[in-house]
Order: sequence, then structure tokens, then C-alpha cells
Amino acid sequence: MNLSTSNSDQDNSNIGTPVQSRRVFMKITLAITLVMVTAMGLVRVLLDANGANQQGILGRVLQAKAALPNIIAEPNDLVMFYGSSMVRAGFSPRKFDRDLKNMGKNITSFNFGFGGLNPYYQDLLSRRIAEQFVTKNRQLKLALIEFNPFQATTTRWERAQFTVDSYITMLANNDELWRILREDLTRGVHLYNIKYIRNHVSAEMITSYYAREIFPPFRRDVFQDNEKVTLERRKLGRELNTLFKKEYPNYQGEEWYYPWQGAGTIPEERAAHTLEVFDKYYAVTQTDAQMKNDRLSRIRTTDIEDMHFEPRLITSFINIVKNFQRFSNTVEVVMLPKNSRYITYSAAGKQRLVQAIQQIEQATGITIKNHQDINAVTPDMFRDTTHLSRYRGDIAYTDFLVKEYAKSL
Amino acid sequence: MIFNTPLFFWFFCIFILFYGFVFLKQTPKLYCLLISSLVFYGAWNYSFIPLLVGSGIADYFIAQAMANSLDKKNKKRWLMLSVTINLGILAVFKYADFAIESVAALLSSIGYNASLETLSWVLPVGISFYTFQSLSYTIDVYRGDLKPRKGLVEFIAALSFFPQLVAGPILRAKHILPQMHKISLPKWDEAKHGFLLITVGLIKKTGADILAIPADKAFAAQESLSTLEMWTGVLAFAGQIYGDFSGYTDMAIGLAILLGFNIPLNFRVPYFALSPVDFWRRWHISLSSWLKDYLYISLGGNRYNQRTRNIFITMLLGGLWHGAAWTFLAWGAFHGAIITLTHYLASQPLFTRFNHSNRLTTRLVKWAVTFYLILLGWVFFRAPDMHSAVTIIGNLHTIGSATELGAHAWLIFALTAVWVLLVHVMDHYVIKSANKLENKNGLFWFVIIVGQALCLLIGEPSNEFIYFQF
Repeated sequence: MNLSTSNSDQDNSNIGTPVQSRRVFMKITLAITLVMVTAMGLVRVLLDANGANQQGILGRVLQAKAALPNIIAEPNDLVMFYGSSMVRAGFSPRKFDRDLKNMGKNITSFNFGFGGLNPYYQDLLSRRIAEQFVTKNRQLKLALIEFNPFQATTTRWERAQFTVDSYITMLANNDELWRILREDLTRGVHLYNIKYIRNHVSAEMITSYYAREIFPPFRRDVFQDNEKVTLERRKLGRELNTLFKKEYPNYQGEEWYYPWQGAGTIPEERAAHTLEVFDKYYAVTQTDAQMKNDRLSRIRTTDIEDMHFEPRLITSFINIVKNFQRFSNTVEVVMLPKNSRYITYSAAGKQRLVQAIQQIEQATGITIKNHQDINAVTPDMFRDTTHLSRYRGDIAYTDFLVKEYAKSL
Repeated sequence: MIFNTPLFFWFFCIFILFYGFVFLKQTPKLYCLLISSLVFYGAWNYSFIPLLVGSGIADYFIAQAMANSLDKKNKKRWLMLSVTINLGILAVFKYADFAIESVAALLSSIGYNASLETLSWVLPVGISFYTFQSLSYTIDVYRGDLKPRKGLVEFIAALSFFPQLVAGPILRAKHILPQMHKISLPKWDEAKHGFLLITVGLIKKTGADILAIPADKAFAAQESLSTLEMWTGVLAFAGQIYGDFSGYTDMAIGLAILLGFNIPLNFRVPYFALSPVDFWRRWHISLSSWLKDYLYISLGGNRYNQRTRNIFITMLLGGLWHGAAWTFLAWGAFHGAIITLTHYLASQPLFTRFNHSNRLTTRLVKWAVTFYLILLGWVFFRAPDMHSAVTIIGNLHTIGSATELGAHAWLIFALTAVWVLLVHVMDHYVIKSANKLENKNGLFWFVIIVGQALCLLIGEPSNEFIYFQF
């Protein structure tokens, strides 16, 4: 048996002298280094030039996260409403606090509703929130957590795949990243590369962005308004922007603005004329055609009526509740009002929803409060098929929440 | 570990430090290469390293035994042992489940419901490549085309050579073993060509991943797409599989060059082929030449008026090599049929003039017909099952489809077609005139840096190479 490399050691003529070898490999190594450094630098320049960075992608989430030390330091008892963009649009902390103050209760509440975050990402963020509260030994008096059925569907999960790596690098801590690296070396190195070299922007996000532009998933204008309505909508939209700039000259475009406690403006601050313009604006945006288009969009992008739930998203949701239970006196899970004029669950969807609710309730020991069809909120209080409208829906729903939870606060 | 991932980049950087600066003599370099190749393979799944090394060791000693055997019958027995081991590995890991499912389906069709359980074993990455590579060694020794090499480490290092281990090209022992025996120092000019090939490969892979979007959409939607969109999907898949596979090969060749090795060309602008026969001279050359030398010739080649049968068997098994599914068999059979038809037409007096004509219009007609047939073949290759393949082929030929065109249907079709063409023009340039670019230092490094930057910007390392599954 011959395990040697035969007579090769006797003839190293091809392999060159050590000096020759080192010289050529030095050139190769130098070329690899220079090419990669320059190419990576070019990538960073291109990303920055297009505003593709952490703030551009998850600005609101990161701003809210950065505000946590100040929130923890607030003197009053704390309430946090945690969820999706439906929470962002539907809960007014300042109205909530003011109404409770009128009842003699000093509460400071915050809107932690984030668009585009499915429960998987919300789970990661809730861990970061819990870490800060637990470290400072601070408790929430009440944690309101939204269970949004269509955020937990397989369709929603699959459509968010291109964001996973980027979001993980922004929301996971070093221990979690290290654990991924140990479990899957390729993925771990990939994530560290995105975090430290690519400024948190994965290639998938960029490819997907261009792919969406080139390969639009569906027509967004199946139902059309007449031209007069369309023109009026544009005109009023521009007018509202102008009025906003006039009324809030100091606002710098923060996505999660501390003085507003993470939500938007409130009617008391707005001029009477502005509120009139809003009324007109809603009249031309909440048209039947707009609503029907939005419904089709929601069906395609979230499976909103049939609701095939993604098991890992349900698990993530359970984790969110458990994370909040670590630092909250009371945790309530609620389902926000639904625009029943346009969104009707299928029989199978209803059945799946019941099963998902049972699973969550069993795992967390919390009964989910269903606010989907409360009388306080009517279909004309929605700006589309899912989100409550500003100065109407948000006020009505916040009012409802005050009545619902005032006693326990 | 995939070439276009950060993990491979760091692996290669560490490897080159040892290979280029620490281990400067033949033997340590060889061991460095072997260990690195096993680490590279093990990064995917360490448990399959013994299978790779074991099959190599078996073939190494079988070849020695064959050479020591004076009796032809004994030689043949040793060869059969090698064939049994290599094809046995393939049969168990790759084809067993397909066979079990097919038998179960057959029994079910005759009214007998047998509950046959599949093995559901993980398919070791690159198994089809390294078993064929190892087999070629014992067959060459048996035929007397090659003397058995001394040096087990050299043999295993050649078999597991990481640039081409998991997706080819399939190297012949007589080509790679002498290079392992005397590892060369890469020359700087050659290294520059290596950089160019790596960059071109990355560009092709990145383009392939983007083409996967319309391709996946078309093959998933099938009936709900217009005829134009269906053609776009099929064309996109043609571009995707070419960019993906030839891109991988380019990177493999480029990396090998940086290490001082020479790997032969595996693609020669295949979609410019003027006949199905021509296509197979340009597409996955290492496999088609392997099948020709070791299967087609073994079956008798052109002799005894059995060319048609032998072509058909070769293409059928070539199809099966790509995957254990009826669709791959159908793809092989389809190519067998169109190659046979090409031979038949070439022998007909009516077509002789046309066949030998070199006029532009004739060449265009030949190209169009060939490309159309290749695209039809890809439908079998990509479709999830035979029913879908037939449905898609039907939709491709539906005139006046009732389905409304998507918003950018024509734009996507045009972009896909232009990309497929551009990639071929780029490849043609690299094959014919790369040295012109390599001689212009400034322009050369500009192209490399911009190319790498673009791929880093939008290249998706999560997308594995299609040919890994074969």
C-alpha cells in the first residue's frame, strides 16, 4: 500500500522556489483583498446613496427601541400597546392618557405598533424590550398585545422571506447571532457579513426590491374611481401635506416620535379647517373602488379571509406574550376592530382562527379579547379595509379602550 | 459551502494563506489541498465524507488490482466491482426512492395497493459528479488507456478537489492526476484569467437568480398565464440554468487556476448551437463526453447499425443522471429523439444541401429550430411532473390565449431574452478574446471590481446552485 505522494518531493520544479511561490500568492492575496475592499466600498456607497440603511428599513422600530431608556424612566405607571400597523393607526396614547387623567389616574402609554413586522420579528423586538425592562427592574402596568390573524399566515411569512436576514441583524442580539453561527456556519457568517460589512442590508432585499418593480405581483387598480375623484384625492392629499408642514414646523420626520408617544397627531392640535379637509379627503379615499382594491391586495398578500396560519408565527406570537409577561403586571391580548363591510372570513378561515386562538390561549393562559366587531367602531371609521382612520377610528377605539381598562389601571 | 457566500470567501482566504505561504512543497501542499477539500465538503455534511473517501479508496485499490491482474476475466471482475460500488452508491442514495415509488405506483395501477416505504435518505451533494469521476479512472485503467497511479493521497485529493467537487466539471483521471502529482505554481497572467472567470461566473449566477423569479412564477402558475408569459418563463429558465451551472463552472475553473490547476471548458456558448448534436458538444461538455466515451462507446457506438438505440439509451441515462424522476427521463428521451431525428434528416438527400449550407439565413433557421427544441426540452427538465410538463407545452402553443397579459409582460420577455443573449456574447468574448482585456490592466481591474461589486450588491447567496442537487 502506497500512501505517499510517490516521488513528488524529489521534483519541485513546477511548484517553484519558496520565494517564487510566496511572490505569486502575495500578488493573488493582494488582488483578492483590494478587489473585495474596493467592491465592498462601492456597495456601501451605493447603499448609502439610495438611503438603504437600518433607519431606512426599520426606522420606526429602531427609534422606538432607542426610546426605551426614556420610557423606563417615566414617573407614571406605564402602558404599552404592542402590535402591527393596525395598532399604529388605531391607538392614540395621548388621548388615552388624558382621559385617564380626567379620571384621576396618572398613566403614560405608548404606541408600539409597527407596520411590516410579522410575529417572528415582533418576537425578536419584544425580547429586546423585555431585556431593558428586566435589567432596570421596571414593570408595565398593562401590556396590550394585538393578535392580528392575517399577520400570522403562511402567505405573510413567505412574502417576508426576503427581509428575514436583514431584520435579524437589526433585531437579534449578539448571543442570538452567535447561536445561529454555531448551529449553521454558512448562515451565521452570512448574517455577520450583513450586519458588519453590508450595513444591515442584505442582497435579497435589494434584489427583491428591483424584482418587485419589474415583476409586479398583480394589478392594484382592478376597480377604478372616476377621474374627478382621483384628481380630488391627489389635490386634497397635497393640501394635507402642506397643512401638516405649516402646523408642525418643528417635526423632523421621525417615524416614532417621543412627544407623540409613538402615535400620530390628535384632533385637538389641528386647525378646524384641517379637520374639514380631512373629512373631504376621507370621502374620496374610502370609496368603494379603493376598498375593493385594498381587499384584493390583502387577500393576495396576507390571505386575510382564509387564514392559513403559519405554525412558526403562532409560536412566535406565544413567545411575544411570554416575553411581555416577564415585565408586565397585566398582559391583555386583543384583536383589533375589523372592517366587516369588506372583509368577511370564510367558514374554513373562521375555523382555523378558532383553533389558532385556542392554541395561543392554552399556551399563555390568557383569554384573547375579540374587539373585531365592537359597536364603538363602525365600517366608515376605517381608512382602508384594515386600518382605522385618523381622528375617527383611532379616537373611537381609544375611547373604547379607556372604558374597557380604566378600572384595572 | 457555496462559492458565492461569505463563508466560502473566508474559507478561501484562510486556505490560500496556508496553501500559498506556509506549505511550499509538493507533499504538504497536497495534504493541505486534501484536508481543505474535505473541510469544504464537510461544511455541508461531515457524515458523507467517509462515502466520498471510501469510494475513492475502493477505486484506487481496484485499479491497482486490475493492473496486477494478467487474466482479462479477472480484470473484468475488478471493473464490475468498481461499477457496482459506484453505481450502487448512486442507486441507493439517488434512485432507490424513485424506484420504490414507481413500483408502488405500478402495483397500484393494477389494483394492488402495496405499502412500500421509501428510504428518504439525504442525497449527498456532488455524488453524481464524484462517482462518475472515480469510475472513469477504473474504466480507463481497464481499457489500458491509463496506468494506475501510485499515491492514494493524490488520488483522493483529485477526487475531492474542492473547486469542482460538488458540481463539476467531471474531471478525467488522466487530466487531473498528473496535475496533482506535480502541483504547479500559477503564473500571474493565468491568475488574472482566473479572476476574470470568477467574476464572470458570479455575474452569471446573479443573473440566474433574478431569472428564477419569472421562471418559478411561470412553472408554478402554468394554466393562469398568457402564452407570452409562459414563453418568458421557459426562456427565463433556459437562462437561469445556463447562468447558474456555467457560472458555477466558471468560478470552479477560475479558482482552480488560482491554485495552479487547469480544468477544461465545460460550456461553449450552447444556445448558439445549430443542431441538437451541436448543442451537446457545447453543453456540459464533461458529462456529454463522459457519456460518449464510457457509455455510448461501451454500448457499441455507431457500429452494427445500432446508433439510434445507443443514442437513445445514452440520452435516457444522461437524463436520469440529472435526477430520479420521470421528467428527467422524458428530458433525456426527448433529446435522444431529436438527436436521432437530426441524424436521420442529415442522411436524407433532400436536406443535404440545407445541412451543408453556410448562408446566414440557413444558419438562422437552424439556430431557431434548435433553440426552440432546447426550450421545449427544458419544460420537461423544470416541470414538477409529467402532467404539468404536457400542460405547459400545450400552453406554449396556444394561439390567442384568453389570459390577460401582466403589466410588464413584453418588457420582462425582452429583458430575459436580452440577458440570455448578453451572457452568451460575454462567454463568447471570454473564450475567444479574454487576453485582450487582460492585457489592459486598468480596464481589466475596473471590470473585475465593478462586476464583483454588482454581484455583492444584489447576489443572493441563499440561492443554491441548481446542479448541486444532481
